[in-house]
Amino acid sequence: MTTDTIKKQRRGLHLGNRFRALPKSARIAALIAFVVLLYVLPVKGFYENLGLPIPAGDGYLPLYTTRSDMANVLFQCGYYILLALGLNVVLGYAGLLDLGFFGFFAVGAYTVALLTSPDSKLITEYNWLESPWPWLVTVPIAVALAMLSGVLLGWPTLRLRGDYLAIVTLGFAEIIRIVAKNQDWILNGDRGIPSVAHPPGTWSDGSPIFGIIDWSPYYWLVLTVIILVIFLIRNLANSRVGRAWVAIREDEDAAELMGVSTFKFKLWAFAIGAAIGGLSGSLWAGQANFVNSATFSLENSILVLAAVVLGGAGSIGGAILGGFLVIYVPEWLRSVGDVFGWPDSVEVFGVHIDVSPTSLRFVIFGALLIVVMIYRPQGLWPNRRRAAELKDRQKEVAPVE
Amino acid sequence: MLLEIEDITLHYGRIQALHGISLHVNEGEIVALIGANGAGKSTIMRAISGLRAVSRGAIRFNGEDISKVRADLRVARGICQAPEGRGVFPGMTVQENLEMGAYIRRDSAAIAQDMERVFGLFPRLLERRKQAGGTLSGGEQQMLAVGRALMARPKLLLLDEPSMGLAPMIIQQIFTIITEINQQGTTVLLVEQNAQQALSRAHRAYVLETGNIVKEGTGAELLHDPAVKAAYLGVA
Ligand SMILES: Nc1ncnc2c1ncn2[C@@H]1O[C@H](COP(=O)(O)OP(=O)(O)O)[C@@H](O)[C@H]1O
Ligand SMILES: [Mg+2]
Repeated sequence: MTTDTIKKQRRGLHLGNRFRALPKSARIAALIAFVVLLYVLPVKGFYENLGLPIPAGDGYLPLYTTRSDMANVLFQCGYYILLALGLNVVLGYAGLLDLGFFGFFAVGAYTVALLTSPDSKLITEYNWLESPWPWLVTVPIAVALAMLSGVLLGWPTLRLRGDYLAIVTLGFAEIIRIVAKNQDWILNGDRGIPSVAHPPGTWSDGSPIFGIIDWSPYYWLVLTVIILVIFLIRNLANSRVGRAWVAIREDEDAAELMGVSTFKFKLWAFAIGAAIGGLSGSLWAGQANFVNSATFSLENSILVLAAVVLGGAGSIGGAILGGFLVIYVPEWLRSVGDVFGWPDSVEVFGVHIDVSPTSLRFVIFGALLIVVMIYRPQGLWPNRRRAAELKDRQKEVAPVE
Repeated sequence: MLLEIEDITLHYGRIQALHGISLHVNEGEIVALIGANGAGKSTIMRAISGLRAVSRGAIRFNGEDISKVRADLRVARGICQAPEGRGVFPGMTVQENLEMGAYIRRDSAAIAQDMERVFGLFPRLLERRKQAGGTLSGGEQQMLAVGRALMARPKLLLLDEPSMGLAPMIIQQIFTIITEINQQGTTVLLVEQNAQQALSRAHRAYVLETGNIVKEGTGAELLHDPAVKAAYLGVA
């Protein structure tokens, strides 16, 4: 057998290539079926059928989450996927390291909270607003403010090469959190802002679509937003802007020598990413009802970063997969743990240690990241250019010639 | 005079890399810049292309001082550099790399023509059209870097050590193509450690030592200059 046919066979085994080899009509049909599946996923009568019988014994291994409401978990996955998609533009497309991406999420969430809550100090103390605004009106404002903060952060730092951006973004997210926590004049510290508005709409019986008990509508909303954002990002990535981003991330000097205005395009990537982060925050706030500083810890920024790197920086599919995994897997492991009798906490020398998978999230993904970075540094669902880029970077570090 | 550099200095932090350099390139010429490792050859290229700002002096292109113009805008004026160490985009295919070279242009028909021209100059690149830039051999990457710079249709082509790390056969080939590009109407400023080849191909040349120009003349003059011979041609 020639190496060529071996290569062909190996390519044939690859799932993505097999999918691309299908006729276009079949691909579209498969995609539509998948999207429909995503929409029915939080329906109880549907997801409860998703599971595997355990061969030995009569156990049943659920693929859904048994400890938390499925729609709840899916909504969380949704806004993390949105965050990962936003960071993917910054890190994956333009190659800019943003360690405080959750800061933009915070800007979005606080904007919605301040403008829609009747208890907002903008209303009760400062009389900036007469009455709370509806949620829907505040979303574009939240997105615009997140974008603006991205521009303000990027303007001075993106001209510089090196790790300034990582440090500045890290500082930005932490400053928001610390200011929110420790001052009282507007964000209200740990006491937070209650009674944040939900998205609009009522069912035919007059009850609100976006209520407190059923999270499915929130999931459907975020899913719809994700689909729209994917279209937007795909179009950008395939445009001149997208090619400039690839050039910048692969070799910034060379990009400049080809006439790419590197500063401008880096700023665009940064602002677009920030806007998507803010959008995610405003969706989250629309569900959460209550926003305080505790939500915006540094760990969340790290988790989003892990999602993008794990999934595969520079790839939309990778960002989605990563965002899904970092939320879903720990939750799902709790269901699995129940099947096998895994405890939530253990006592060692009289000390209770929390060992539930959601608490061990960072241990799980820390370990997973290390394994993936060793065996598949381009990520689980990589961008097609990534492997070649990484190999090139290795050569730079340790030249082989 | 297409390019005229007048008394420029350039600093990397506190280190001064160029001490008052003056040189010029006439339209239609190949001008070579030779000198030892660390003499400041690449630094001069960076100053011309705009990757580094000069501390003093003027860089005139077509009579206009461009020393304060941003690098990406200098490309639009007709200066394009093939960077040292090739600098091809590793994840882009050969074709995408070449398209990137034409990034500032919108005339897609002429771009397609120029791509054919590059493939005519470098048939190897045509064979590897769909291959990622980073997986090419050193010589192929060098060809790609030169071809990519040509795609911008520069008036002035800056080549920083196009022969670096290549086998003698391929070096010969690259220099032949540089001569050909020049005969097709592109002015070339060429940085080289391979002084023998550079001087025999260049109309004029400058010798650079630790940030100063110490000698200039026609290629032939310098090729037969005893001091140059001893220092750069390995002939006693
Ligand atoms: N990025 C940099 N930072 C600091 N010093 C540099 C940098 N690049 C080059 N230099 C210094 O400037 C001098 C000229 O370098 P360079 O122009 O690369 O030389 P050449 O291309 O002739 O080998 C050298 O002394 C080198 O060490
Ligand atoms: Mg050099």
